[in-house]
Amino acid sequence: MAAIVSISDVYKDYHLDKVVVPALRGITLDVHHGEFISIAGPSGSGKTTLLNLIGCVDTATRGVVSVAGQDTGKLPESKLTDLRLNTIGFIFQSFNLVAVLDVFQNVEFPLLLQGKLSAAERRKRVMGLLEQVGLANHARHRPSELSGGQRQRVAVARALVTQPQIVLADEPTANLDSTTGQNIIDLMRELNQKQGTTFIFSTHDPKVMKHAQAVVMIADGRITGRTTPEAAALHAAGGAH
Amino acid sequence: MGQLFLIAFRNLVQHRRRTLLLGGAITGVTLLLVLVLGLTHGVSETMMRSATTVSTGHLNVGGFYKVTSGMAAPVVTDYERVREIVKHQPGVAFVVDRGRGWARVVSDTGSMQLGINGIDIRQEKGLREVLSITSGNLDDMAKKNGLLIFEQQAEKLGVKVGDSVTLSAPTPRGVNNTMDAVIVAIARDVGLLSNFSVFLNNDGLRGLYQLNPHTTGALQVYLNDIKQASQMKPKLRQALEQAGYTVMADDPRPFFMKFDTVNREAWTGQRLDVTTWEDETSFFSWTVLIVNLLSGLLIAVLIGIISVGVMNALWIAIRERTREVGTLRAIGMQKGRVLMMFLIEGFLLGLMSTVLGAVLSVVVAAVVNALNQPVPSAVQLFVMSNTIRFLVTPGAVTFAVLFLTGCTTFVSLFPSFIAARMKPITAMHHIG
Repeated sequence: MAAIVSISDVYKDYHLDKVVVPALRGITLDVHHGEFISIAGPSGSGKTTLLNLIGCVDTATRGVVSVAGQDTGKLPESKLTDLRLNTIGFIFQSFNLVAVLDVFQNVEFPLLLQGKLSAAERRKRVMGLLEQVGLANHARHRPSELSGGQRQRVAVARALVTQPQIVLADEPTANLDSTTGQNIIDLMRELNQKQGTTFIFSTHDPKVMKHAQAVVMIADGRITGRTTPEAAALHAAGGAH
Repeated sequence: MGQLFLIAFRNLVQHRRRTLLLGGAITGVTLLLVLVLGLTHGVSETMMRSATTVSTGHLNVGGFYKVTSGMAAPVVTDYERVREIVKHQPGVAFVVDRGRGWARVVSDTGSMQLGINGIDIRQEKGLREVLSITSGNLDDMAKKNGLLIFEQQAEKLGVKVGDSVTLSAPTPRGVNNTMDAVIVAIARDVGLLSNFSVFLNNDGLRGLYQLNPHTTGALQVYLNDIKQASQMKPKLRQALEQAGYTVMADDPRPFFMKFDTVNREAWTGQRLDVTTWEDETSFFSWTVLIVNLLSGLLIAVLIGIISVGVMNALWIAIRERTREVGTLRAIGMQKGRVLMMFLIEGFLLGLMSTVLGAVLSVVVAAVVNALNQPVPSAVQLFVMSNTIRFLVTPGAVTFAVLFLTGCTTFVSLFPSFIAARMKPITAMHHIG
């Protein structure tokens, strides 16, 4: 099966004044359609940088990042934006909802950017997703009127509304209590299984990574292994102690 | 696009205090701009209305009669014949004949050099509407020695209705003549126009200048549409020339500024001159120019201030919403839409504030006009009236709204452009 994300010998350096800080050092990774993968590692290991490269919001210093068959290094900014809009969904650690829009409007927003569906079709799809995440009754609430868990559910719905091939979630449970975090991961897993959407999420929480099909371990900008969730959780828990 | 408007609108509402402050400033500038435009328009309109009844017609057929080459008198001889030619021209509503002169008015306590307008009160349809008589009776101008003066003149001369004054003027024959006139009416000042003009019965004026009854100063021609004055001018000149009159070369200045030129020329006898009301009042145009310049300067400074305010507000908004910009860019919003989103915010702020300012200006103008309060004489000089009158037109309101909304949108362009250029990764990781 062809990889939906293919990363080959990728380096990413950040320049802080005259100091070059290497964030990724020769990463090679393939993610296949329908996988539910966790990228795990301690803070500063390069998880977010890797997700940013896959999500086309940043470009590699060296190496090839291919998403849905397209070499992102060769695409102009407008094409990268289109790729993000049509192929990738984002779930952020801090939810990142538009404060002045209500739940329905936040979820609908990517569809408006696409401009492919009629108002009735948009409404049907948005309400369907809100049903799935259990927020149909909160459609007209503003983000400030929701709990952290509810906001992240809105973010999940927004990420899925364009029916993307890949959903990237950067520490999606970091700002949630453990029960709510658990619910969000369960929801993501359920949507992955029902719709076949590829999920790649970063975490350093052993309780979260145990839900993944596979865990890519990363440290100091290098992949240290691809392992089972149980082994990764054990490793992370050990590391923690 | 609707969603971008919604985001912009709700952000303005969300940051209520900032929006109110900035919107209030834009509203204030709009209010001022519309009022200034209304005042300028009002002054122009008042000037036109006053001038075209007090001192000029829409068109004037005047001229000079010279006994010798160096002695020009501002008269039209055998004016009835000229009147017949003029009044049958298409577009002419009616014709009034006015005497023209320049005399010293002497009272017991003072004297003034003043322009004398000779009138036949029965012909003067517009004068009653323009002049506000504070004492006396305009109908008494039918008396041969009846004189109408203005309040300020009455004050300077120390006279009231019923008092006598002496008029002293040089006749076309080169000798000085005097007459006694009785003040029959005193009118409220009408700005600069009333500073140097008085009205005397036309027969009285002919007596003062020793002119025959078939002579007048000028024929003031009133058209059905004053806007046609410039087009009518060459037609009238042509008609008079075809009737055998010699018409002076076109010179767009008031008649009293032409004496030197006419006296230097060698001809004698009668020559006619055709002028528009704009020619005769061209010396007033500086007042409108000064009002326009001062108001333009004031508005420019205020626009500068609100431009800085709008730019600053947008900078703050963009800084506060950097993470939001990053998120929107990450989920697939193109740069152009980010630019549009912030531009719409500037546009909406401008539009709502200017519309409010325009509505307020209409209300303020209506209230001030209704109060009809007299203004100091120094102000009267500029506004050509003894009261402030705002003439707020739909055109001025539309202009103010569009112009100021355009300004706020334009100054929003630069911060919006900077917001659109932000990389999603930079914006998303922005702290603040």
